[in-house]
Amino acid sequence: MSNLFPLEFAGEQFRLLTGIGVGFFFGFSLERAGFGNARKLAGQFYLNDMAVFKVMFTAVLVAMTGVFSLSAWGLLDLGELWINPTFLWAQLVAGFVLGIGFVMSGLCPGTSVVSMASGKLDGLVTVLGTFFGVFVFTVLFDKLPALRNLYSAGSGEVILLHEIFPFKFPALCLIMTVILVALGAFIFAERVEKIYQKKLGPGPLTGPDRPRMKYYVLGPMFLIALAAAIYDKPVMGEPEPLDLVAIEPLNLAERIIDGDPTLVILDLRSEEAFSEKNLPGAKLLRGLGNPAEYLSNLSDGMTVVLYDQEATESDVPGTWPAGLEYFAMRGGFEAWKREVLTPHEMNGSSLKEQDFTRRQNQIAGFFSGTRVQSKAAAPPPAMSGGKKKKKPAGGC
Amino acid sequence: MPKNYWNPYLAGLLLGLTLLAAFMIAGQGLGASAAPKRIVALGCETFNAQWAESNTAINKYFQGENAHPLKNWLILEVVGVLLGGFIGAVSAGRLKGEVMRGPRISIRGRLIYAFFGGAIMGLAAAIGRGCTSGQALSGGGTLAAGGWAYMMMFFGGAYAVAWLVRRQWT
Repeated sequence: MSNLFPLEFAGEQFRLLTGIGVGFFFGFSLERAGFGNARKLAGQFYLNDMAVFKVMFTAVLVAMTGVFSLSAWGLLDLGELWINPTFLWAQLVAGFVLGIGFVMSGLCPGTSVVSMASGKLDGLVTVLGTFFGVFVFTVLFDKLPALRNLYSAGSGEVILLHEIFPFKFPALCLIMTVILVALGAFIFAERVEKIYQKKLGPGPLTGPDRPRMKYYVLGPMFLIALAAAIYDKPVMGEPEPLDLVAIEPLNLAERIIDGDPTLVILDLRSEEAFSEKNLPGAKLLRGLGNPAEYLSNLSDGMTVVLYDQEATESDVPGTWPAGLEYFAMRGGFEAWKREVLTPHEMNGSSLKEQDFTRRQNQIAGFFSGTRVQSKAAAPPPAMSGGKKKKKPAGGC
Repeated sequence: MPKNYWNPYLAGLLLGLTLLAAFMIAGQGLGASAAPKRIVALGCETFNAQWAESNTAINKYFQGENAHPLKNWLILEVVGVLLGGFIGAVSAGRLKGEVMRGPRISIRGRLIYAFFGGAIMGLAAAIGRGCTSGQALSGGGTLAAGGWAYMMMFFGGAYAVAWLVRRQWT
């Protein structure tokens, strides 16, 4: 079942139109909060009106409770959302600088639009200033390498806050924690406000104090997050198959000779073929019962090499542990017989080619138990050979 | 008589639900600084198309089939903000031509602060790929680590210079 949200639209035009509706409520709620009024906003930084902090944090808490609860219930696909990528230095510097601009203009780019819409001249002038600042950036961007470096300093990856902890911290548990911290911070902010209101008076058009409102708003948010943390519907569906990397038979042979302890070799063939002849140390996949379970007992970083009679598969089931490295021996067991077990004739002209054949024959000697130097009727070396045609093999 | 503003927690609830709706409907959060960026890009293209199309800060807005700097969800969203702000102000008796300022500053002084504050914010929003709406609010609401960093630094920057510009507000 695909997720219900975000909504899919028949065309981009329809999606664009929803912007007007969502924007309407954005502007309306900012206006109702008093954010069209620069004096009200500035009160945050002179501590007599903490509305900026209260409104912003409440909004963030409500949105993140909604986003992550809906996601836990399988209604919203987090992967489909546009989430701010992390350019940490740009964000740290820009946040600080924007804060400076905010206390100067008393508005931010969003609230200045609301301020302008409610007739305030300082709002309009701030909007014009914003355009000017963006224009300056546009002109300087190609001229100042430092500006470009700052702009793109950072990974650009989407990193979520609950992922940065050294221990496993589920998003909804983090959200519940943040709600409790925010409640404490709101109580603190209200106390500070009281103190500074004695000196500076309350912010403009401040209604009656209703401190219990924060519990009415954040209490349900906490309960929703708790419910989602307890009942989360895991996303169903087959995990993506894992890619297989090809490994040359000769390279595999060398690793076997070296006694590589990280090597696990799995034979995908039938029991009959396996018992007749197999690679040293190989295990029959069919004999393992549940391969995923067997593999999950291996430590991360182990090399798992698969082979079939001829062709090899190009991927392995996504249920297999992702911490292992999966390889497929190119050409399967036939290639092993042809390229590793069969000694080769010294027919290369260059020193390099002769070295190569010598090495090959040493390997062949190792596996056959005899030390044959050369043999007349041996097939020519096929080491650099092109890709064998892949066909789906049975087995797992 | 203008009405009082809403209780901040109630206003925050409506703002938060709006932000959630943006994610559910459009798959993206709210933003405000995309509009100036795209309008400036359009202005540059109108006056000097060649320069604008070679400028790596804005040429991404012209690339692609049917691309137009203003054909973007965030542009229509800002049109909505204008409407919502206007209706909100009218319905509460708060639509009034005036300059919001503290008792100790002239109108001219206040407007100079407003312009340069706006310019600093425009620069910052362009560097940080968003402003208080696009980074702090929308990033914060999706637990984006960079959005939270932005939000903390925003408060830090504002408190750091609040004392210097107190004459404007108190």
